[in-house]
Amino acid sequence: MKEVITQSPESRASAKSLRWVFPIVICASVGIASLLLLDLAKTDYAFLAAYTVLQFVALATAWNILGGYAGYVNFGVAGFFAVGVYTSVVIYKTLQWPLLFTIPLAAAVAGLLGLGMGYLTLRLRGVFFSIATLAMSVVLNTLVVNWSFVGGSRGVYILHPETMPFFGTYARYLFVVMLTLAMGSILIARFIENSWIGNGLAALKDDEMAAECAGVPSLRMKLFATTVSGALLGAIGAPFPYFITYVDPNSAFSLTIAVNAIAMPLIGGTATWLGPVIGALLLGTLQQIATVTISSALNLLIVGVLLVFFITVAPNGIIGFIRDMREKRK
Amino acid sequence: MTNLTRRDTFSLAGGALAAMASSAYGQAGPIKIGFGMALTGGLAGGGKAALLSYQIWAEEVNARGGILGRKVELVHYDDQSNPATVPGIYSKLIDIDKVDIVISGYATVPTAAAMPVVMQKGKVFLSLFALAANDEFRYDRYFQMQPNGPQAKFEFSRAYFELASKLSPKPQTVALVGADAEFGVLAVEGARANAKKAGIKIVYDRSYPPNTQDFGSIVRAIKATNPDLLFIGSYPPDSAGMIRAIHEVGLNARMVGGGMIGLQFAALKQQLGPMLNNIVAYDLYAPEPTMNFPGVAPFLAKYRERAVQAGVDPLGIYIPPFAYAEMQILESSVNAVKSLDDKKLAEHMRATKFSTIVGDIKFGDRGEWAEPRVLLIQYRGIVGNDVEQFKQAGKQVILDPVAFKSGDLVTPFEPIKR
Repeated sequence: MKEVITQSPESRASAKSLRWVFPIVICASVGIASLLLLDLAKTDYAFLAAYTVLQFVALATAWNILGGYAGYVNFGVAGFFAVGVYTSVVIYKTLQWPLLFTIPLAAAVAGLLGLGMGYLTLRLRGVFFSIATLAMSVVLNTLVVNWSFVGGSRGVYILHPETMPFFGTYARYLFVVMLTLAMGSILIARFIENSWIGNGLAALKDDEMAAECAGVPSLRMKLFATTVSGALLGAIGAPFPYFITYVDPNSAFSLTIAVNAIAMPLIGGTATWLGPVIGALLLGTLQQIATVTISSALNLLIVGVLLVFFITVAPNGIIGFIRDMREKRK
Repeated sequence: MTNLTRRDTFSLAGGALAAMASSAYGQAGPIKIGFGMALTGGLAGGGKAALLSYQIWAEEVNARGGILGRKVELVHYDDQSNPATVPGIYSKLIDIDKVDIVISGYATVPTAAAMPVVMQKGKVFLSLFALAANDEFRYDRYFQMQPNGPQAKFEFSRAYFELASKLSPKPQTVALVGADAEFGVLAVEGARANAKKAGIKIVYDRSYPPNTQDFGSIVRAIKATNPDLLFIGSYPPDSAGMIRAIHEVGLNARMVGGGMIGLQFAALKQQLGPMLNNIVAYDLYAPEPTMNFPGVAPFLAKYRERAVQAGVDPLGIYIPPFAYAEMQILESSVNAVKSLDDKKLAEHMRATKFSTIVGDIKFGDRGEWAEPRVLLIQYRGIVGNDVEQFKQAGKQVILDPVAFKSGDLVTPFEPIKR
């Protein structure tokens, strides 16, 4: 402790920047390592499967910013995701921009939607907020079904090139894009968690009235959280049409996405940035394996059974469980 | 470390090469046919029935000694009726399982999602009941097993309006109604064009949301326009709801029906029973004497024996014969070309007329059937709710096409009086 006090302002600043450099370096090296590892498999399948798992890592992390830190349960994940998906479709059909420019735009549109939704609904608390988000998803679905330009209920094809310069196959490129999005989401979540915003959101989660009395600008913080969470969910949706190459409302507003994005943080633990990552890696991988081995409806069953198990045995998720065990040992 | 002399090295390398070569030549392993199939989720009913057909075919082929002296093995994964799982499944099939042939799962959406992967690898692709999946890709190794022909949209209502305009006196007005979803929109679009061509005035033209439960108000609104004809483009639950409402409200038009999906399945046939009488609807196969192609009766007998145990449609006249015919085409092509080369197979499939258990098939533009063969049938003499009666001839009389005609149109449609 003494050392910290005697530190000069310069060295304190460098320690702060070090705190930033470290996770970025870890993320980058994990990313490069996984890319090299998947290259060993020499098949597109490895990249497509990894894409799906990473998509869930990113979705779970993004959902957790609002649902885990602030305790506002968003049932409209599929709605935000679909806004990203359909922004991407609109750009594909009109401007033909490359995916890299599409993602920020999808994030902006979904972020705006998040801000708007937050402004309209955040005065609703608890279950009322959740129902409002669910309703928003239904409204968006109806809009898309009746909008023939983006394919309506018939769906729309997205044709992508077979290869990408510098990346090899398109599947490999998509994997890198999703890897970057997942890493970005994790860094943002970690930053929010460790900053004053995270503390404020945690205070809101515990007792909103008390937090407000203590001077936490609750509405502004909640708006921030809905916007960031929404923008991330939208950004994650943007590459999806290129991944599946045929989008219809059923796949964009899929129940799988909505359920998984909520179940994964719950299983991993919602209090920290690591929880959703663990939950998504665990569940996403399990589901991928189940899809190609056992071949049945086991997917959602796995989620259901694990949810029941964790809610009864470890209500705070894997992270919470480990923490409890450690404290007991002390 | 042992020191290898140069001679040792060469002999070792030679041995290794010989081993590799022999393994490449003596491919006694099975011919693998890979696909994703909806075994759970919304499309599972059709998916499981198709799978059973493929399995029956594979057993028969293997009992005959396989194709090109090799046994046949089906490699399949459950796509959960979710298109997002499809690209991954097909890359795994091709890259990891190293299947020799890929075919599609059941229905349009999973087929569409598989197209890009399959095209990239240059594989021949036979698809099962995919509506216009190749219209945008125009992939020249794609072949589709639904007899829609190249103009599917118009084909679903062509015969309906042709027959209607031959009635005397000629009908003056038609009501069009359909689900606000892919098939409904397409079918009604086609019907609109065909009605105009036939010079019949459209007095009602509305769609309803896909999850509509109560059709009473819709049918009452239609009844208020007093149409001579009613054309419906609906999905299975709506088809049932619509027919019930028509009887409840007491709507009588001269012809009722058209593009109704679902009436082809045993479950709905059984549920609706006598309410089906005189309904005119599209179908793809009907157990009429005019369609008794060689091989179809033994296939259906075998299928029906195992359907209940497999938990699939006990009648099996909609999808299963076509799935079986698909594999017959595959088998005959591989035998003719004597190789599994995709290019040669595609060329053969494009050029050949195949005899199958659903009749002669020749592929044309975009891999669709060159000659469309959507049937227009009319339900007759349905008594009670026994599913067995639908196995008999005369219950689904074929009105069109002429080559398969087994009876004449009966008008008007009359609702059951209560």
